[in-house]
Amino acid sequence: MTDQLREKRIGIVGVVIIAIFLTLISRLWYLQVATGEELAQQATSNRVRVIQEEAPRGRILDINGNVIVDNRITRSIVVDRVQLTDEKKKREVIAKLAKVLNIEKKDIESRIADQRISPYKPVPIAIDVPFDRIQYIKERQNEFTGVDAVPLPVRRYPNGSLAAHLVGYVGEINDEELKEKKGNYQLGETIGKSGVELAYEKYLRGKPSVKKVEIDVKGRVLRQISYEEPEPGNDVVLSLDIELQKVAESSLARQIEITRSVQDLGDKEKFSTFKAPGGSVVVVDPNNGFVKALASFPTFDPSKFVDGIPTPIWKELNDPKNAFPLSNRAVQGLYAPASTFKMITAIAGVESNIVTPGSAFNDTGSLKVSDRVFNNAGKKANGVINLSTALTVSSDTYFYDIGSKLWSLQFKNQPAGDAIQDTAREFGFGSVTGIPIGNESQGRIPDEEWKKKVNKENPEAFPYAQWLPGDNVNTSVGQGDTLVTPIQLSMAYGAFSNGGSLYQPQLVVEIRESQSKKVVKKIKPVLKRTIEISPSLLESMKSGFAGVITGEKGTAATAFSSFPRTIPVAGKTGTAEVSGKQDTSIFVGFTPINKPNYVAVAIIEEAGWGAGTAAPIVKRTFEGAYGLPVTDVIFAPPPGGAD
Amino acid sequence: MAFTKSLSQAKQQISAKPWRQIDAILVSAVAAISILGCLMIYSASRSRLEALGISKTYFLERQIGFVIIGFVLMVLVMYVDYRKMRDMSPLLYIGVVVMLVLVLSPIGSTVNGTQGWFNLPGGFQLQPSEFSKFFLIIVLASYIAANEQFHAGALVKTLAIAGVPIGLVLLQPDLGTAMVLCAILIGMLSVAGTKGRYLLAMVLFAIVGVVGVLQLGVLKEYQVDRLTVFLNQSNDTGTSAYNLDQSKTAIGNGGFAGKGLFKGEQTNLSYVPEQHTDFIFTAIGEELGFIGSATVLALFGIIAWRIWRISRAAPDATGTLICIGVVSMFVFHVFENVGMTMGIMPITGIPLPFVSYGGSAILLMFMSIGLVNNIYMHRFE
Repeated sequence: MTDQLREKRIGIVGVVIIAIFLTLISRLWYLQVATGEELAQQATSNRVRVIQEEAPRGRILDINGNVIVDNRITRSIVVDRVQLTDEKKKREVIAKLAKVLNIEKKDIESRIADQRISPYKPVPIAIDVPFDRIQYIKERQNEFTGVDAVPLPVRRYPNGSLAAHLVGYVGEINDEELKEKKGNYQLGETIGKSGVELAYEKYLRGKPSVKKVEIDVKGRVLRQISYEEPEPGNDVVLSLDIELQKVAESSLARQIEITRSVQDLGDKEKFSTFKAPGGSVVVVDPNNGFVKALASFPTFDPSKFVDGIPTPIWKELNDPKNAFPLSNRAVQGLYAPASTFKMITAIAGVESNIVTPGSAFNDTGSLKVSDRVFNNAGKKANGVINLSTALTVSSDTYFYDIGSKLWSLQFKNQPAGDAIQDTAREFGFGSVTGIPIGNESQGRIPDEEWKKKVNKENPEAFPYAQWLPGDNVNTSVGQGDTLVTPIQLSMAYGAFSNGGSLYQPQLVVEIRESQSKKVVKKIKPVLKRTIEISPSLLESMKSGFAGVITGEKGTAATAFSSFPRTIPVAGKTGTAEVSGKQDTSIFVGFTPINKPNYVAVAIIEEAGWGAGTAAPIVKRTFEGAYGLPVTDVIFAPPPGGAD
Repeated sequence: MAFTKSLSQAKQQISAKPWRQIDAILVSAVAAISILGCLMIYSASRSRLEALGISKTYFLERQIGFVIIGFVLMVLVMYVDYRKMRDMSPLLYIGVVVMLVLVLSPIGSTVNGTQGWFNLPGGFQLQPSEFSKFFLIIVLASYIAANEQFHAGALVKTLAIAGVPIGLVLLQPDLGTAMVLCAILIGMLSVAGTKGRYLLAMVLFAIVGVVGVLQLGVLKEYQVDRLTVFLNQSNDTGTSAYNLDQSKTAIGNGGFAGKGLFKGEQTNLSYVPEQHTDFIFTAIGEELGFIGSATVLALFGIIAWRIWRISRAAPDATGTLICIGVVSMFVFHVFENVGMTMGIMPITGIPLPFVSYGGSAILLMFMSIGLVNNIYMHRFE
């Protein structure tokens, strides 16, 4: 090798280097400067795709601003399918992910295969991934093609399952909802599925960010055209008081636990204990219809739904064995109101001049109506009583008499004969209350028309089309075919206790902006109607209901024996017979008596006396409402076993 | 006074304190590009890291660490006379081959289908194929320089020497590194005086070889896909086309002036995959625009020019050949990496020198600059 040749070759190497750099610079110029506008023109002929990213969802707060639901950021692993079209590579990545994240391969596969999610959006595979796993994946990006770790906002429940039925839960939008929302939503987005989350979706959701991208004929993203910032959802402030809610929930659960260890004396053969599979408590403000607490038992954990509902949990939640934790018994549960319905019959009786508050009635323990004998609970005779006492001791006979006499008027086609049904409907029974959540049940106030209808539709189950005296008598004590929901009962007693104003139940007091706290919407009480109740009747009935708590023969006297007498409480027990099941335990209370601020209803299935299970729950709830120490009541049967 | 020093005085001074006579322009350019690299790594990785709740300086801190270690290694390499390395070249060659064999054994680990890494404690990984470039340059330079008459027999032997490590790297399979080794070989052989038609044959053979590797199914399907996407950019809908599209979009989005440092839309939205490593140039393109990208290319140009210049000032053939090897490697890295982000070269995992995140590559590049400086310090001998 000569030095000359070497010099020449070194020179050639230098020329090659210069050529390479010139090539790079030219290409750079071409991409960044020369074709800039050309690309823009070309792009206009391409189609536009809209990609929405959800805005942070609004919070759900209690009346004092305590957080019931907010958001947290979770580290999630997503897979970008655009980068994973190669089948072999996909299998590799899935296998590695399954190992690292410790989840089933087929679960990942089904997530990735979900064609409903926009292909331009990465599919979430797992949430709450531990930091070390994320780091492992990030450090091996080459092995995990298309896999990325992104922050994902999910619902957070700082109080656990508190008020779960009321706030509801969120989940991924399904096909049905998507159709209904007509283009406002995209697949994969979160939507309220029940409770307040569903009812106030419009406010909670906010406005998603909208990214418009251009794609070419083959669906590849070419560039981003526009980007609209997301608007965070608004906060929803409930009328709920979480402290009271906690008391209501714990009282319900605690009393059910106690009742389950109590023997059902009505069952003389098997000596079984009460099943008490479920129940509910509702506390409302009778002055405006706002719900202060609403509990349903058994309950569920809404945080389990954050990542879609895993199949085993879904099965568990829908297994009849578990008494359907997802159903909100306070608004969906249908129960015979039993003796709590006597409030209606009493007003109906007085309004139709069958009785007066002062008229005397001899309760012999039973009443013969046509050829059938109707007994008091335990056939107990109460002697000579008036309306007030009839309520206090829960005489059935007194109200049978009203029912029977009204039936006679019905038979004569006199409009006054329908007084019980009319009064019940006036107080909101038989139709939905309009509470903004949860597939509310309508309930049923049976009458002749109804009986004819069901007989026609289903003659086997309802062989008689005729409205018989026994039907009206059963209705007079809230048995037979009468069905109400706990929320209806609370609104009806609210209307009674405030002197006749029937409100629509409300859950939300206001909606406000998350950051500025500016009130967007304030919810006003909705008065449905004003029912006329004469002051003397009101007074005599209230004294009867007061006697239930404080009177010697009051059916809930035992349950409330530890409650301070300085706080006036009135109420009514109810024990409903259900064919083939143990009795339903019912109690309605309100306090203070003259101008009540709280009406509470507790209804527990298959739990015996209203005084035994439901009354102690309301007692405890009122203790909570007044900030008193909450004390247990061991199953409190009514004195003398009457109800 | 200093201006009037005679050549012999200069020689004396340099042989007394050779490390003081480094190529300041070369080292300054390297320092500038390394600092810019750290900035761009921070820009390209911070939003993703932050989103994950990891410190957004995680990659930045590690890269700064690599650069510091790299600097230290560069100085160490400068200090050991390159002729001592030349004398040790048979040993170095055996070392390289052993490492490349070992990494194929179960001791090595696989990333992205390539069996090319040793896992080290602390989450670090060592890629022996990176370092094989450095040692192969010394080995080839020593062998070629020792054969003053570079006839056909010496050429065949040289090809055999280079062929073993290239073959081992292809077995991983790491086509990118194999291509770099070929570039080094061809660059050095051309300066060795190989006949033009042989060189042409070798270039053709390398290209046919690459195509052959693609056809023979040595590579995984996606690797082939990545490599060939640049050939038919408008017809491809696969993942590699997506990468390339995103890459070109990001660079194009920068325009003439760029979006501004840390303000790249595509970069901040984490559009480009592997952006802090192989696709770092897209962040430069988007955020610094044509002005910034051209400046970066100019800095690379300065580095290449300085190395090329030192090849001519080297005191012996070994030194010249080493410089040519280094400059071939360096320029091929830049060409291949920048070229792939702009869609004119196949997509292979070759890092952008001094800029891409990654320890092995940074250390290799600093060691190579150290080697070149080493030769520069001995230029008057």
